[in-house]
Amino acid sequence: MADRATESEFTLDTAAELAAAEPESAAIRGRSPWFLAWRRLRRNYIAFAFLALFFLVLIACALAGVYARDVAHTGPNTNHILEIVKVNGHSQSVLSSGGYISKSTGKACQSGQTDCILVSSLPIAPTWFSGGGKFVLGADQNGRDIAVRLLYGGRNSLIVGIGSSAICIFFAVVLALLAGYFRGWADFVITRFFDLFYAFPVVLLGIALGSALAINGFHHWGVNIQSGSLWIPTLVISYVLIPYVGRPLRGQVLSLREKEFVEAAIAQGANPLRIMFADLLPNIASSVLVFFTLIVANNIVLEASLSYLGAGVQPPTASWGTLITDGQQLIVTRPWLALAPGIAIILTVLSLNVFGDGLRDALDPRAKVKVEH
Amino acid sequence: MIRSHRWKWLVTAAAFSAGVALVATACGGGGGGGGTTAASAGGSTTGGTSSGKTFANFNIAMDQGTDYLDPALSYTVEGWGVMWNVYLPLIGYKHVNGPDGATLVPYLAQDMPQVSSDGKTYTLTLRSGLKYSDGTAVKASDFKNAIKRDFIVDSPGVGFFGNIVGADQFGKTKKGDISGITTDDASGKITIQLAAPQGDFENILATEFAAPVPSSAPQKDTSNNPLPSTGPYMIKSYQPNKQIVEVRNPNFDAAALDNNVPSGNPDKVTWDIIGDDNVALQRVISGQDDWMSYHPIPTDRLASVQQKYADQIKVFTPANTYYFFMNTRVAPFDNLKVRQAVNYAVNREALVRIVGGLGQTTENVLPPTYPQYEKHTLYPYNLAKAKQLIKDAGATGAQVTVWNHDRGIDPKFTAYLTDVLNKIGLNAKEKIVNSTVYWTTLGNQATKAQIGFADWFQDYPHPLDWYDVLLNGERITQTHNNNYANYDNKSVNATIDSLKKEPSLTPAVNAKWKALDKTIMEDAPWVPFLNRQETDFFSTNVDLSCYENHVLYEFDYATICHK
Repeated sequence: MADRATESEFTLDTAAELAAAEPESAAIRGRSPWFLAWRRLRRNYIAFAFLALFFLVLIACALAGVYARDVAHTGPNTNHILEIVKVNGHSQSVLSSGGYISKSTGKACQSGQTDCILVSSLPIAPTWFSGGGKFVLGADQNGRDIAVRLLYGGRNSLIVGIGSSAICIFFAVVLALLAGYFRGWADFVITRFFDLFYAFPVVLLGIALGSALAINGFHHWGVNIQSGSLWIPTLVISYVLIPYVGRPLRGQVLSLREKEFVEAAIAQGANPLRIMFADLLPNIASSVLVFFTLIVANNIVLEASLSYLGAGVQPPTASWGTLITDGQQLIVTRPWLALAPGIAIILTVLSLNVFGDGLRDALDPRAKVKVEH
Repeated sequence: MIRSHRWKWLVTAAAFSAGVALVATACGGGGGGGGTTAASAGGSTTGGTSSGKTFANFNIAMDQGTDYLDPALSYTVEGWGVMWNVYLPLIGYKHVNGPDGATLVPYLAQDMPQVSSDGKTYTLTLRSGLKYSDGTAVKASDFKNAIKRDFIVDSPGVGFFGNIVGADQFGKTKKGDISGITTDDASGKITIQLAAPQGDFENILATEFAAPVPSSAPQKDTSNNPLPSTGPYMIKSYQPNKQIVEVRNPNFDAAALDNNVPSGNPDKVTWDIIGDDNVALQRVISGQDDWMSYHPIPTDRLASVQQKYADQIKVFTPANTYYFFMNTRVAPFDNLKVRQAVNYAVNREALVRIVGGLGQTTENVLPPTYPQYEKHTLYPYNLAKAKQLIKDAGATGAQVTVWNHDRGIDPKFTAYLTDVLNKIGLNAKEKIVNSTVYWTTLGNQATKAQIGFADWFQDYPHPLDWYDVLLNGERITQTHNNNYANYDNKSVNATIDSLKKEPSLTPAVNAKWKALDKTIMEDAPWVPFLNRQETDFFSTNVDLSCYENHVLYEFDYATICHK
C-alpha cells in the first residue's frame, strides 16, 4: 500500500500504478475499480466537506415537522396575519397595519389630516430567536413563518429534485442500453425520441407541461395524479431531462457493445437482457452515479425555476422556488424573504456539484461527464 | 369588467343570457314611465375644458392589460381607459371627479334620449356637422354600423344589446339588418326599439361598444390600424406590448359638443407599455413618464415614495368588490349553514392587510361608491360560531377545492381562505390556474368550481351591472357563466327583473336595491371582503390641481396639466 506521502501527491491511482508501488516481494493484489475510486475520493477533503454540507441541509429539511411543532409552533401554511408576537418583550404585529395611519397614534386616519401618512402593511422582520422561536426569519404577506416554510420548502424541493433524478436516470439508462445494445431500428427510434426533446428548450417544455398539468392533473391509463401533487413537477422534470442523460450513456453503451467481453457473452449464448444489465450496466455505473449527483443539483434548480414561473410546485405548498416568488414582491423592504430560499438553493446545488465533481474525478478521472442543456 | 383580460360576456353566453333576460322581462309585463334615469339627468357643461393649459407631451407608464384598441372588442379597464377620449358614444359620462361622474350627458347626440312612455323606444338625434378624424362625416347610420359590427366581430359587448328588437336574430345570422334600430342620415334621427323596458339602457348606450364607427370600418380587429376617432384624440400608432401614441384629432371641436367632452390639455399622449411595477415606478420618479397607469406602487416602496413624493400620490377607490364565491349547486356549499360559516370565519381585516392596507372591508355586494349602498354587517368575525355551523351542517371533513388564478397578489387571498376553511373543519386545498384561462374555466359549469376568488369592476355605474350580471339566477349559463355561485333565488330574480324596468333610480328604487343586497347576503352565496383602493402616482412635472378621477374610467388624462 502506498504511504501517506505518496497518497497526498496527485496520481490517477490506476491499478498499474498501485501494483508498481507494491514491494517486489509482495504478491500483486487485485484492486477493484470501486476500491481505486474510494482511494481517490477519500483524499478529496473538499468534496467530503460539501457532502457534509448537503447532508446538513438534508437533515434540517427532514426535521421540518419537528421544528414547526416544537420551535415555531405553527404549520407551513398557517396564516397569522392579525396576530401579535412578543419580541424582546415588545409587542409586534405579524403584519402591520396599512393605509392612512396617524404618525402620532398609529391609528387609521383620513387623508389630508395633519400627521396622517400613507403606509403599507409589512410583515414582521426576522426575530432571530427573540420571539420564542416564532418568526425566526420573519413572516410573509400571509403572516406565515418563513423559517418553517423554508424547511418545508426545502423538503419538497429535495423530494422533487432527488425523485425526478432517480426516475430520469432509470429511464435514461434503460433507453441507452436498448439503443446501444440493439442498435439499428431500436437505436433509430430512441435517438429520434431524444432529438425530439432536444428540439425544445428544457425550461419552456417544463413550463408547457407543468402549466397544462397544473389545471387538471393527470388522469389517463389508470394513473390519477391530482393537480397540486408533487408528482407533477417530479415527473415533468424527469421526463424533459431523459435525453440529456440518455444520449451520452447511449454513446458509452455503443462503445462498450464493440468490446470483446460483449462478443464473448454473445458467443456463450447469453440473452440480451443479461448482457445489458449484467455486463454493460456495471460498466456505465460510474457514469450513472456521477450523472445522478449532478442531475439532482440541476433538477433542484429546474424545480425552483418552474415553481417561480408557476409551473412547478403549486401554492400554498412551499418550495424554494415559490418562496422566491413570494419574496420578490417585498424585495426592497424584506429582502430576506427571497434571499433565504436563494441561499438555500445555492448551498445545496454547490454542495452537490462539488461533491459530484469529486466523485467523477474519483470514479473515472478521464471522464468528461456533465449535464448540459 | 375586471382589471385586464377578463371578458364578462363572450358572444355565445351573451346571446343566450340576453335572450333569457329578454323573456324574463317580457314575462314580467308592465312598463315603467318615461323619462331618463336619475343618473342621466341634464347637465351640459363639465369642468374638463382645457382653458389654456395645453402642453406638448404626456407620457404614461402603462401596464400590459390592454387587450384591443378597437371599440368593438376591447373589454378591459386599460383598453377603455385609453379609448374613452377617442371613440365617443352618442351619450357619455361627465368628465368630473366623484359621484357626479356617473351623470350621463349628450356626446355625439344633441340631447339625452327621448324615452317613450312604455320605456321601449329611445330616440336620439345626432349633432350636425360632426366629422371623424379622417374628415369623413359622422352619420346617424354609423351608430347602427357599430352595433352590427359588434355582432359580426364577436364583440364581448353584444350581450348589452340583446334587448334591441332584431338584435338576437342578427347575432345568429350576422346578415340582414337589426330591425329595432332605424336611422335617418339626413335628419340625424336614431330610433331604438327595445323588446322590454331596460333601466340601464342609457348606460349601455354610453359604452365604447356603442360608439359610432364609419361604414367603411373593417369587420375585424382594427387595433393595429385604428379606426378614425370622434373624440379629442386619435390613435396615431399602436405597437402591442410596446407603445400607444395618441395625438389631437384635428376635426374635434369641444364647443360643438357643448363642452361635454374636454378638448384635452396634452397635444400628444404616449403610453409606454411596461411589464414591471418597479420599472414603471422608477420611470415616473425619474420623470421619463408622467403617470403610472394601472400599475400599483409596489407595497414595499409605498412608504419611501410617500415620504419623498407625498404630493404626487392620489389614493382612490374605484367601484369594485373582491369576493369569494361559493357554488350553491355543489356540496358542501349547497348548505346555507356552510356558506354562513365561511362568512363568519373570514376575518376581512386580515385580507385588507394582505393588500397592504389599501382597501376597505365589506360584506356588501355593491361597493360604497354607489348611492344604493347601505352597509350591513351580517357576519361579524366569529370562528367558534363558524366551526359550530360546520358541525351542525354535518360538513366536517368535506373535501373543498379553492380556486384562484396566479396573477398579482390575488393568490394570497385564497392562501388565507384555504387556511381558514381547514380551521373550521373542512378539508381544503388550493387550485391555482393560469390567469388567461381562469375566468372561462370558472364560467364553465363542467368545472363545478366549489369556492374561489373573484372580483368585479363595474362596466357602468348602475346596480344592474352587479346584481343582474352576477347574481340573477335566470342568467346562469353553461359556459361563460358570470354567476359563479350559481345563485338562483326566485324571489331575488323577480326583484331584479322588476327593478330592471324602473326607468329612474329614485330614492324609492334605491331603497329596494339596498334591501336586495341584504337579502342576497342572508343567503350567503358570496363572501364579499374588500373594496380595494388604488394609487395614482405622478411625476413632479405634473400639476395635480387639474387631477380628475372618473367614477368609471378613473384618471382622466385629457384634463391633466403640467407645471
